[in-house]
Amino acid sequence: MKVIEVRNLNVMRNGRLVIRNANFEINKGDYVGIIGPNGGGKTTLLLTILGQLPRLSGTIKLFEKDIEEFNEWEKIAFIPQDAINFDNNFPITVKEFVSLGRLGKNKIGRRLNKEDWEEVNKALEFMGISDIANKRIGEISIGQKQRMFLAMALVRNPELIILDEPISNVDPITQEKFYKKLSDLNYKEGKTILVVSHDLSAVFCRMNKVICVNVDVNIAEIKENTDIQGILRKAYGEHFYFVFHKHECKGEFEND
Amino acid sequence: MIELLSYQFFQNAIIGGCLIGIICSWIGLFLVLRRQVMIVDGAAHTAFGGLALGLLLGIDPFITALIIVIISILIINKMKAFTDSAIALMLAIGFSIGLIIISITRGFSIDIFSYLFGSILTISREELLIISIVTIFIAIFLLLFHKELIAITFNERNARIMGIPVDLISNIFNLIIAITIILSIKIVGVILIVALITIPALTALQIKTSFNNTVIISVLIGVIGVILGIFISALYKLATSGVIVFILVSIYAIVYLYSKIEIIKRRTS
Repeated sequence: MKVIEVRNLNVMRNGRLVIRNANFEINKGDYVGIIGPNGGGKTTLLLTILGQLPRLSGTIKLFEKDIEEFNEWEKIAFIPQDAINFDNNFPITVKEFVSLGRLGKNKIGRRLNKEDWEEVNKALEFMGISDIANKRIGEISIGQKQRMFLAMALVRNPELIILDEPISNVDPITQEKFYKKLSDLNYKEGKTILVVSHDLSAVFCRMNKVICVNVDVNIAEIKENTDIQGILRKAYGEHFYFVFHKHECKGEFEND
Repeated sequence: MIELLSYQFFQNAIIGGCLIGIICSWIGLFLVLRRQVMIVDGAAHTAFGGLALGLLLGIDPFITALIIVIISILIINKMKAFTDSAIALMLAIGFSIGLIIISITRGFSIDIFSYLFGSILTISREELLIISIVTIFIAIFLLLFHKELIAITFNERNARIMGIPVDLISNIFNLIIAITIILSIKIVGVILIVALITIPALTALQIKTSFNNTVIISVLIGVIGVILGIFISALYKLATSGVIVFILVSIYAIVYLYSKIEIIKRRTS
């Protein structure tokens, strides 16, 4: 099943063409990295796919429905850029925050029932943050905040999870734990995942597709013999060089 | 002091004041977290122009004030990129229109004074009935859309992507702000409304607890401030609105100091 289908997409912002003639599709179960330089249009691409920015031309289909007709937003969970940089004084506990994930178009004005709270507890447990459920969100660590956002995404029981640079300014160990959780969601839970990332090793080790965005949008499958250098040059320019071999990831996966 | 409760006007003041205290401190929490408190101040000052206009035209001044406040909130929200400037603009326009009308017709200056500083002890049975009905409707909305309002307050764009009808809920919320401002004019007056909206929420935020508890604490502080304010002002013959605000500020100061002492204690232990 095609979860996302983009055809001839052009997006203009502030009088500048930011996305030029994008064509790609994401299938159910894909784990996709979105890479590209800052200002290259990654966030614009995501927000346009989510219907939050207007298109100049082109079509977008979500779950095989034109975006204009699409209304099953509970199938999608989105974690925005710098999500964890919220106001630490916001008076809400981790459990209360995660429960907000149960909201949606078809659930407006509805009180959360027993089943909702069971889902919340399950998501907290899956993300390993049950012990901090009653802590305020301003009192937890960055790693815990990331897992809290993922738990909030999970309680929606979404088929597609989209993350926009979820782990910038985080130490490598926390990053690794975060990508491990995403891998679990993809492999064990069958979620389709799209993640904007500057961590090229994580993208090429863990994900099966990569989308390079630098006004032009190119998609490639990541396999043993993938021309990674060629992909990266499309995103970052001819002079970019990144030493990486897919077989280096094997040990990492075995440890998972 | 108990004797005061036997007077009809005093009962009306206590009940009306408590109801306004509840909705002001409840919506105030969302406004404080959205950093939109000054919208209330700007809109409340435009209400002054609306009240004067109503008196001039011989229409119920609260109706003209409500219309003007709704228009001013719409304009402030439209000028999103320059919210602070929009608030200053609305405040200036509303107040200047009020002053011009007062200078043209000098006959209703006493009424205007009561609108500026409130006249809680003159709440009639009919006014109390209106306040009660409106409070019930507002409370039902706030209870029904409690989680949606939290999600919108936390991150509006994300709330949209979640499928929450952000525009619809925000428009109803703005209407509630306008109605609350108009109802509060009788209690604390145009100038001090912002205090009744802000201080209980700010105080509750010092406690650092869950969202639901913060709402309850904010509402309790609002109600306590209003009740104590009415009693103390009646006993010592002081301006009620001023005493209400002074008590709220005092509660804030005590809670703030207590929370700071607690932080120091935790650090040193």
